[in-house]
Amino acid sequence: MEAGALMREAAAPPKAGAAFADVVAPHLDALYGYCLRLSNRAADAEDLLQETLLNGLRAHGGLRVKDRLRPWLFTIATNAWRDRQRARARELNTVSLDASDAEEDFSLFATLAIEDPFPYSDELHLDFLRLFRDEDMQAVFAAISPVHRLPLILTAIHGFSCKEAAAILGVPLGTVLSRLHRGRKQLERGLWDYAVQHGLVKVGDDDD
Amino acid sequence: MIDCREAVGRMWAYLSQGLEAHDVEELEDHLGACQRCCGELEFSRELRERVSQAGAAQVPPTVRDRINELLAHVGQPGDPS
Repeated sequence: MEAGALMREAAAPPKAGAAFADVVAPHLDALYGYCLRLSNRAADAEDLLQETLLNGLRAHGGLRVKDRLRPWLFTIATNAWRDRQRARARELNTVSLDASDAEEDFSLFATLAIEDPFPYSDELHLDFLRLFRDEDMQAVFAAISPVHRLPLILTAIHGFSCKEAAAILGVPLGTVLSRLHRGRKQLERGLWDYAVQHGLVKVGDDDD
Repeated sequence: MIDCREAVGRMWAYLSQGLEAHDVEELEDHLGACQRCCGELEFSRELRERVSQAGAAQVPPTVRDRINELLAHVGQPGDPS
């Protein structure tokens, strides 16, 4: 929906928008970060943030408990993002929900211990993570399928509990748990593949 | 006692308060007896911390200005409706 159309529907009292801007200000960084990790592009993140806030402004009168503002805003952002996804390519419905068994069993922790890319390190696993700049990490993260990325973003980045994440996503707790686990496995696999492909680690080098 | 595969499968849920008390108990029993899984849990914490750092963002000032501008005009006289 166009922002203009949303504004026309808003029918908010005078200065409601300015007041709402003050209310959401403490959450704006987190909300923008969420939009950015959902959409992976700065321009899309800004559109999504705007839509979230306009939708929020319209519904804000119905929010009784103001200290639930943060999860409420994340719920609105999630729904706005889903609507966009559906409008675009029905991506959510066509994406495979099943990680392969090979992926399920992949363990980055074990792989690092076996491949031992830093033979003289006392902090093998930390040293591996230190290879990744923020943009490397973000690239790996962006490649995780959206349904599995969402619970990771909400819990690991924004500190929501699994139960809160389930409420925000509107799915049962068990669904969040299995998606969280699969997302984590995609992340682990993605980090290892990225490190190998970009030459951050050397493996299978037998010339010593 | 649960095996390593089950224990590893519960770890991220454990770190985000996603487990029932009984499942926590089983996991903690396993951790008490399995050094490898303690290492895996520690690495899970580190990885999540790294994800959290890399995933955090700040609203660019120009975006913040545009947002405030947009919201300030909703419901105002002269609202383009």
